[in-house]
Amino acid sequence: MRILIFGAGEVGTHVAKMLCNANHDVILMDEDEEKLQQIEAHYDLMTIVGSGTSIANLKEANVKSCDLFISVPPFQDMSILASILAKKMGAKKTVARINNNEYLVPDNKEYFKQLGIDELIYPEELASEEIAASLKQVGTRQLYEFSDSKLVLFALKIRDNAPIANKTMAEVSTMHGTRNYNTVAIMRDGRTIIPRGEEKFLHNDLAYIITTHEAIPQVLDDAGKVQFEVNNVMILGGSRIGVKVARLLGDDYNVKIIEIDKNRATKLADILEETLVISGDGRNLELLKDEGIKKMDAFIAVTGNSEVNILACQLAKKIGVRKTVAEVENIDYIDLAENIGIGTLINKKLIAASHIYRMTLNSNVAHVKCLTAVDAEVLEFIARESSKIVGKPLRKLGLPKDVNIGGIIRGDEAIIANGDTIIQPEDKVVVFALPSGISKIEKLFT
Amino acid sequence: MLNYRFILYVLGLLLIIEGFFMLISGGVSFIYGEYDLIYNLVSAGISIVLGGTIAYLTNDVEKHINKREGYIIVSMVWIVFSLFGLLPFWLSGEIPSFTDAFFETMSGFTTTGSSILTDIESMPHGLLFWRSIIQWLGGMGIIVLSLAVLPILGVGGMQLFVAEVPGPEPDKLHPRIAETAKRLWVIYLGFTFAETILLVFGGMSFFDAICHSFTTMATGGYSTKQASIAFYDSAYIQYVIILFMFIAGANFTLSYHAFHGRFKKVFHNEEFRYYFSFVMIIAVIIGTVLYFTGDDLGVERSFREALFQVVSIITTTGYATADYLLWVPFLSLMIFVLMFFGGSAGSTGGGIKIVRIVLLLKNSALELKRLVHPNAVIPVRLNNKAVSQSIVTNVLAFVVFYILIFGVGTVIMSMMGFDMETSLGAVATSLGNIGPGLGDVGPSSTFADIPAFGKWFLSFLMLLGRLELFTVLMLFAPAFWKQ
Repeated sequence: MRILIFGAGEVGTHVAKMLCNANHDVILMDEDEEKLQQIEAHYDLMTIVGSGTSIANLKEANVKSCDLFISVPPFQDMSILASILAKKMGAKKTVARINNNEYLVPDNKEYFKQLGIDELIYPEELASEEIAASLKQVGTRQLYEFSDSKLVLFALKIRDNAPIANKTMAEVSTMHGTRNYNTVAIMRDGRTIIPRGEEKFLHNDLAYIITTHEAIPQVLDDAGKVQFEVNNVMILGGSRIGVKVARLLGDDYNVKIIEIDKNRATKLADILEETLVISGDGRNLELLKDEGIKKMDAFIAVTGNSEVNILACQLAKKIGVRKTVAEVENIDYIDLAENIGIGTLINKKLIAASHIYRMTLNSNVAHVKCLTAVDAEVLEFIARESSKIVGKPLRKLGLPKDVNIGGIIRGDEAIIANGDTIIQPEDKVVVFALPSGISKIEKLFT
Repeated sequence: MLNYRFILYVLGLLLIIEGFFMLISGGVSFIYGEYDLIYNLVSAGISIVLGGTIAYLTNDVEKHINKREGYIIVSMVWIVFSLFGLLPFWLSGEIPSFTDAFFETMSGFTTTGSSILTDIESMPHGLLFWRSIIQWLGGMGIIVLSLAVLPILGVGGMQLFVAEVPGPEPDKLHPRIAETAKRLWVIYLGFTFAETILLVFGGMSFFDAICHSFTTMATGGYSTKQASIAFYDSAYIQYVIILFMFIAGANFTLSYHAFHGRFKKVFHNEEFRYYFSFVMIIAVIIGTVLYFTGDDLGVERSFREALFQVVSIITTTGYATADYLLWVPFLSLMIFVLMFFGGSAGSTGGGIKIVRIVLLLKNSALELKRLVHPNAVIPVRLNNKAVSQSIVTNVLAFVVFYILIFGVGTVIMSMMGFDMETSLGAVATSLGNIGPGLGDVGPSSTFADIPAFGKWFLSFLMLLGRLELFTVLMLFAPAFWKQ
């Protein structure tokens, strides 16, 4: 696929890297030559110095032969204009990043379709949804649902007190008679391991587990996680994400939001009726104590500053908040934040990137999710009559080493995969894949 | 820490490729039923088995390279290829001295075309073919070929590409480096094929036509005849070769655009316009002087001889249809100056490259304007775009190094007892990857009489010139080896 990306900001470069690794023909365009030089030296792609709003530059990039035009410049107006131009000049599909909720309303989406923008991406919206979802399942680091939540993937930190710690995969799978969850990957010391039967769960492992909705309590039990209900939530930072989360949590939770800027706080109070807005510096421990941080069940740090978010969550953990969520926009910090035990990490670039990435995969892929802490994807494939993967037990297929099949959804039934599972046509298959494995597994489904 | 195992792995893989081309030469020996078959096969066997073993043993390495590994790989590849490429010449005893064989092979791969052979026609066909094909491989570049055929080099391939392709800033024809490399090789192959056909039409034997096409497109200059192109007393053959030398000395990206009907891009390219003008103006000057001073050649012949020598030298091919040392001194001197020009960026030619000379001249001229207006921002423009200061600085450094190496090299040569003309000529021709020099190493002479040390030294200069100085020089910089 030939893909033109306008905007070498953080989302743009991240998407470019991903697409490059997936063997697409990537052209990255930005007005700032310096931004391009760094990535060009390390990735197999072409760069063009220019703007996506310039017709001459778009022509130079040969936009008419592009299968996908991704517009992620710093400003929404530029992004929309560039997408319109690209579409008119012959790009097959266009995606524009926006930062206005209004445009996402289904009725308004039609306007953009007519203008020539096929998809709109609003990273803040996606990030807020993810934060809200993570509060529903405490004890997990990340949680993703597949096919109307029939199958769930979540990441769990394994501690020494977990019943499954220091046991091998094979032992764990026989613990309950039937096997009702599948560990698809383990992140240990910055490495991603695809576990086989003899692999052990160790202290401090981050385990990615796929299971059915019904079996969640059991998995949490095995991992030594205590369930609790979230009622009181404190949000640090009245950023767009903060506001959205507050809105999403709405009446069901007791939400407090702390904003450092007085004017912004006044505005927040205006737009968030249900939420208690506090104006003050969230790094001030006295203030947090006054606002009852001890009684909070969850603490969400979404200021524009990753360092502040990480430290604030660290502080909240120390005081005793059991669930913390930090927005970490600096991708290099994620590994670090994961290791020092900040609960859930949110990165809107990775979220946006996985949405865009989905568009480049073939129609057999229903969902894709880039995982925050590991360099890997979870994909939901739909098996076809003609797919190579259909009709044989998994263990006889000789699956590539860098992928792991987690579970299958057949009609209304969710099945946890094992070596004897046979995939049937129309099954939805949830697959965990390292970047090197994506194209290999894609072939099995065509 | 450098990833030495990966360097070995890549070198191993590339050796297999070299062995494969030796097998092709073996095929030629087989067709002609000559004695060198066994030597070609043994050389191929050694390269393939050794390369395969190394690649197999290092196969488990992490396949990732940084800039530094890239430069080491590129420099090493050329040395390793020459060391193995000399095997057929050396084993067969056609070139009994190891030094001579190395010189001949390095001169081949770097498309220099300086030869130590005194009786080329007596060589068996297989070896003549090998001698031509190494130039052809070196022309477009060993790394560019491997990028096209080895997907493994895709990651970090840009580093290797930049280190090998001539010119200050290589163009990409496709977002993927492997696809860019493939397109370049397809064009290269296409031109080689076309030239072969045209030469066969002109009455050249098929074998000679292929060999000459290989060395023309590579701007190499090895001929299968001791007398070079002068052997063919045919205006048609000479014009065909002039045309293809000219194409090979132009940027291959432009040929790609021309094939896609984008002629505007070709004629609006500033470097191409300078290249064309330089060739024409100098050929006309030399042709005119030749007409009046030479021994009654006639207009067409004078102009053809002038054009042939000018194109041959400026593109750094090094074929000869006349001995320019027999011309009046004014003309020999002009040819000597041309040796520094070189082809265009992104061509198979050597030398300083037209684009660098143009940038340098423009920058120097603008410096006068800058002195008048000390506060003015006056960028150097090329193709109607401002060229970034870092590129101008890079070009300046390149030219300074080039002149410096030329100067020091000449002194070293003269210490071996050569006269000034020979020393200047030998160094200029080796550094510029041209072929014939001046004095004792002119178009009608060979490099056979240079002492062993001189041959190794000139071989080193050829490598420096082919990889455009920096790639090799960098390896001598302390900063390169510091952690």
